[in-house]
Amino acid sequence: MRTSRIVAAVLGAMLAAGAPIAAHHSFAAEFDGSKPVTLRGTITKMEWTNPHAWLHIDVKGADGKVVSWMIEGGAPNALLRRGWNRESVAPGTAIVVQGFRARDGSNRASGGDVTLPDGKKLFIGSTGTGAPGDAGGKK
Amino acid sequence: MKALTALVISMAFAAFVAAAAQQQPAKAWTQPRTPDGQPDLQGIWTNYTSTPFEVPDSGDKPDFYAGDVDGTGRGTGPSSFLTDTSDRKLTKAKSLVVDPPTGRVPIMPWAEEVRNYRLTHIQDDWVNFTPWERCITRGVPGGIFPAGYGSGYQILQGPGYVAIVYEMIHEARMIPVDGRPHLGPSFRLWNGDSRGRWDGNTLVVDITGYNDKGTVATNVATQRVRAIPQSEQLHAVERFTRVDENTIDYEVTIEDPKVFTSPWKVAMPLHREPDYQLFEYACHEGNRAVPNTLSAGRARDRK
Repeated sequence: MRTSRIVAAVLGAMLAAGAPIAAHHSFAAEFDGSKPVTLRGTITKMEWTNPHAWLHIDVKGADGKVVSWMIEGGAPNALLRRGWNRESVAPGTAIVVQGFRARDGSNRASGGDVTLPDGKKLFIGSTGTGAPGDAGGKK
Repeated sequence: MKALTALVISMAFAAFVAAAAQQQPAKAWTQPRTPDGQPDLQGIWTNYTSTPFEVPDSGDKPDFYAGDVDGTGRGTGPSSFLTDTSDRKLTKAKSLVVDPPTGRVPIMPWAEEVRNYRLTHIQDDWVNFTPWERCITRGVPGGIFPAGYGSGYQILQGPGYVAIVYEMIHEARMIPVDGRPHLGPSFRLWNGDSRGRWDGNTLVVDITGYNDKGTVATNVATQRVRAIPQSEQLHAVERFTRVDENTIDYEVTIEDPKVFTSPWKVAMPLHREPDYQLFEYACHEGNRAVPNTLSAGRARDRK
C-alpha cells in the first residue's frame, strides 16, 4: 500500500514535471528571460492587487541617481500562503530582488527571489510562468 | 507435496494479511441533507492536484503552450509540486482527462491552429488573450480545472438553487435546481446557462447557451487545451457526487462538434477543507499584463 503510494507519487512527479500550473499570463510575452537583473533598493510601496501584486522599489544607480522600479509578483493569496505579509514589505525596507527585465525596456521586472534585511529569502514571483529557473513557492 | 501445500498456505495467508492491511474499516457515512431535502454539498472545497490535465505526449510543446512567444525555450517552470499549495494530491488516473482512455482531448486541427495563432500573436492584439488573462472569466467548466492557486470553491444551497463561489476569479455561479428549462438559443453567454437536477445524490448540471468568444480552458496547467476556442454548440454536463464527508467526485463531459471530434471527460476529486479561506480576487485591479504584453510587442516592432 505504502509502496504503491510512493510509486504513484514518483510517477506523478514525473508526469507533473511538464505540467506547470498557476500563472495568470505567460512570462515570455512580457518579460525577457535572457535579461536577468539584480536590483538593490528600498521598498516604496506594495500593491496587493490581483492577478499580480506589484512591488515598487527605489534603486540608487552608480551615478547616485534614484530610479523607481516595479516588480511583478504572484497573486496576493499565493504570496500570503507562501509567507509574505504586510510587515515583510514595509516601505523603507532594503531588499535585493532577482528578476528579469520587461521586454519593452521600461523599469519593470518579473520578480523571483527577494532577500530581506535579515537574510531571509522569499520567492515573490508567479509559478509556472515559464520564467528561467522558476522555482516558485518552494518552502 | 507437503512443502508445496505449506508454501500455498503461507502464500494465501500472506495475501490475506496484505488484503486485510489494505482494507480500511468501513465508516458509516450517510449523505447529509439540507433542510429542504437536497443532498448537502455545502462547504469549502479545493481542487489541488499533481495529476496532469492530459497524458503527456512526446509531440507536446509545453514551452509553447505556456506562452514562449519567441521560441527562446526558457523552460516551463516548476512542477506542480512546487506551487504555493500546501497539500498536493494525485488522482487515481494518469490524467484528469479520463475519456477518451488515451487521456488526450480530441481537438480538431483547425482549433489547434487558432490556439497557435493566439499564442504567437498575443503581443499584437488583446483579443488573443484568454478570457482569464482579460479578467472576464475562467469559464464553465474551465473555472474548476486546477490552476495551482486560488483553488477554493464554496458551495451554498438554498431552496431551488445551488450556488458555487469560485475563489478564482471571484465568480459566483447560480445553478437553479427547480426544473426550469434552459434560456433558449437566443441567449449566448460566456459561461453558458446552467440547469441543475438531482440524480439520486448526484447534482447533474447541464450547460448550453454559450457564446463563441470564450475558450474551453484558460490556465497553463491545461497545456495543449489552453486557449482552444469554443463554439455556440458547446455543451457540458457536470456531475457532483459527494462520496464521503470530505470528498466530492467531480466529472464533466464536454462536447462541441465544431471543435472536438468526440466528447471527452474530465474526472477529479474536490477535497473538503473547512479551514481554507477564500481570498478576494479582484482580477482587473492589478491586471497590467495586457498593456505590458502589448507594449512588449510594440517594442519588438520598433527593433
